[in-house]
Amino acid sequence: MANLIVAPIVAWFAKVGRAYHITVEHAGALGILVWESLVAVLTLKVSFRDVLRQMHIMGVQSLPIVFVTASLAGIVTSQQGGYQLISSSPRYVLGTLVVQSVVLELGPLLTAVVLVGRIGARITAELGTMVVSEQIDAFKSLGRDPVAILAAPRIIAGIITMPLLVGFADVIGIYAGMLMADLDGGLGKETFFYGARLFWHSWDLFYGFSKSLVFGFVIPVISVHMGLRTRGGAEGVGLQTTQAVMFMILTILIIDALFPPLMLQ
Amino acid sequence: MISFQNIHKAFDIPVLTGVDLTVETGEMFALFGPSGTGKSVLLKTTLSLIIPDQGDVEVDGLSVYRGPASNLDLIRRKIGYVFQHAALFDSLNVYENVSMGLPEEELAALNTAELSRRVWDALEIVNLEPREILSKLPSELSGGMKKRVGIARAIVGRPEILLWDEPTTGLDPINTAAVERLIQRLSKDLEVTSLLVTHDVEGGLHICDRVAMLHSGTLRFCGTPQEFKDSPDPVVQAFVHRDAAIAALDMAVV
Repeated sequence: MANLIVAPIVAWFAKVGRAYHITVEHAGALGILVWESLVAVLTLKVSFRDVLRQMHIMGVQSLPIVFVTASLAGIVTSQQGGYQLISSSPRYVLGTLVVQSVVLELGPLLTAVVLVGRIGARITAELGTMVVSEQIDAFKSLGRDPVAILAAPRIIAGIITMPLLVGFADVIGIYAGMLMADLDGGLGKETFFYGARLFWHSWDLFYGFSKSLVFGFVIPVISVHMGLRTRGGAEGVGLQTTQAVMFMILTILIIDALFPPLMLQ
Repeated sequence: MISFQNIHKAFDIPVLTGVDLTVETGEMFALFGPSGTGKSVLLKTTLSLIIPDQGDVEVDGLSVYRGPASNLDLIRRKIGYVFQHAALFDSLNVYENVSMGLPEEELAALNTAELSRRVWDALEIVNLEPREILSKLPSELSGGMKKRVGIARAIVGRPEILLWDEPTTGLDPINTAAVERLIQRLSKDLEVTSLLVTHDVEGGLHICDRVAMLHSGTLRFCGTPQEFKDSPDPVVQAFVHRDAAIAALDMAVV
């Protein structure tokens, strides 16, 4: 009888203990990865060519999907806003709504989610495959530092590229929203931007930029970390990539939720 | 000389439980054992690719785990490592892959012509035609060619020691014999110490000066090929006379 009560409690504590252990282990490994990447950058071990290559993959090659996502975000926000506000507020408020939504939230968040799928998953799968095919061991056996060669260029590229992509997404989203407001409700460009300027704070741009900077750091760091921890064969790579995507999405949403109380008070 | 001292390693279950082994300078040494007995694990402790839970490895008197961190850099320059599946870098062509075998400082000091010559020579030593494959990616090479490029990468830096991790795995009998001849020739021509991990008992006995066998995480045998063949140990006998898979099954019963 006592066992029936005690056993589930022990099992629950064991689960909590394991979760705590895994969290601490990940946090420690992430910290070490960031530190080693920083050392690689400061000791000039990182190839500028590799950084440019990664920026091309993350930035230039992501432009089409970011364009589509940002356009749709702007269009939907404009349509929804028009529908909600039509009878209760002045029409120019739609400009405020679209610009604020895109700059503060949709631009950084949707671009980050797109990059998780397009870049984060790719990095984890690529590095995971290199682990299981012993290419990472080969780098080490040849006296090369895999962090300097593989991790640091991706992290630097992420930090530089993400704000640029978010800036691009903001512009596209706002213009798509403005066009939709014109087509859907006949709201002219001047009225739209009058509303946008009326409640505009320069701080909002800084807020969106800060978010994109953090997301641009988090995505490559987590994806590299998860890739380098891959074990097993093809199945291990698949499993690790799935976990990495979940880890990145969750982290981005948590960070996104932490930003308003930290920067919009 | 490579000296493994009391190496312990566990991955959930113990794999190595106190292995002591010495490979003398200039000798060709084969390490046998059924799959999962930790042969590759032991080999990888030499370069700290796998860190043992306990024990140390010394290479020419330099300690891998108890000495300063700079020891590992020095040791890595002395050693060429041939991986089981070649471990060529996917995104680099053959020329770039073999170039990576040179230490960074040496690579930076060489001009293009000198570097090309070194890569060219290394490929010719492993019986590959450089002109035909220099610009190819690993995905465009056959299994046997990948192994040879992997060997070229290991020898281009002129190492004093070569570590071979199952170099004939996955090759057909003709390529297996060719790679074994290559190992023997390279070890003699380049005057290097060779430590060969293999499940190919016949090949290992044929080309090596001394052999050892791992069993249940410890060293079961160490001696000359003839002593290995004549050993009264039933586990060794099972391994000598049958293929590794059957021997592994028998050993589970012993």
